Amino acid sequence: MSKSDVKIIHRKNKLKAKAGGEGGKSGYIDPNAVARGQASIEKQEENYADEVEIILTKIDSAWDDLKSELDDPKKEKQNLSTLHNYANNIKDIAKTFNYELMSYFGESLRDFCEKLNARNPVHQVIVKAHIDVMWAAFKTNIKGEGSKEAEELKVILNKAIEKHSKI
Amino acid sequence: MEIGLTQNSKKDQGGTAYNLGDFKILVVEDSPFIANLLGSCLMEMGVGSVIKAGNVRDAKDKILSNNAVASGQNIDMIILDWLMPDGTGGDVLKWIRNHKNTSIKFIPVVVCSAYTSTELVYESRDLGANEVMVKPVSAEKITQRMLHIIDHPRPYVQAPDFVGPDRRRRTLPFDGEDRRKNKPEVISES
Repeated sequence: MSKSDVKIIHRKNKLKAKAGGEGGKSGYIDPNAVARGQASIEKQEENYADEVEIILTKIDSAWDDLKSELDDPKKEKQNLSTLHNYANNIKDIAKTFNYELMSYFGESLRDFCEKLNARNPVHQVIVKAHIDVMWAAFKTNIKGEGSKEAEELKVILNKAIEKHSKI
Repeated sequence: MEIGLTQNSKKDQGGTAYNLGDFKILVVEDSPFIANLLGSCLMEMGVGSVIKAGNVRDAKDKILSNNAVASGQNIDMIILDWLMPDGTGGDVLKWIRNHKNTSIKFIPVVVCSAYTSTELVYESRDLGANEVMVKPVSAEKITQRMLHIIDHPRPYVQAPDFVGPDRRRRTLPFDGEDRRKNKPEVISES
């Protein structure tokens, strides 16, 4: 029989030993420490508004850069990637603190960036609509989902996408 | 509760309270805000050392500088964001799993992503991730992944097209004919 090119490697469980674990017994992490960890995440909500404002401003700049540097394919790719990453960051941060509407818009913009052609005027309108509703959601500080204002902003964005996608 | 993950409830069953004071965890995350959030959460949970990297290149540098030589100060676990400015978490994962140095090759990796698609879960698994954690992060989610890695480590499989933890989380009974021509070589490291 020829030697197998598949190896199954059973490693010594050094992490368990490092954590003070014994044999086959499962352990736990002090629930008070876990609660402190969660509290530290929740405490960061104090900085949510400042952080989102900074990222929204960066999104504005990234979008301006993308439109103005379309002649340079390398810069175009870089600017598109920057816009995509900021949209994704907003989605993550908003979701962490239950700002569902902002998270929804961030995700929508991120996903749209994956098919975005910045030369296409229709696409430009759709990106601008995303940025506008994100600023609106930020300024009205809408938290959670399902409020009247949240639904209105979603309708505005979806109408813009629908209207311009048909052109 | 997510299926297959460990609950942090062993206290009542007489399990050991883990001391994470000697753990060193690398957080790879391009958003400084999320990186700080993860870092402070881990520190509050008792993790001794948290280091951060903001992109793929920085992540590789930090891994090399900490784990190139096996020591008690190696990175023990990585929490890895997927989307980064200069590549993806997949690039880092592939680099880790194909590294010659075993202090790097076998670092447990938790992929942490805002993408919730099954494709990403499969891709992470096929590139050798130990766990996948969907954002938003919480202390409970982090705890579950850490406990699963500590308490239920899977053997690593090294094959021509895959290096990583065994993708089968359960061993199912099998009474049919084993059609593999060559049985895998089983290695137990001391």
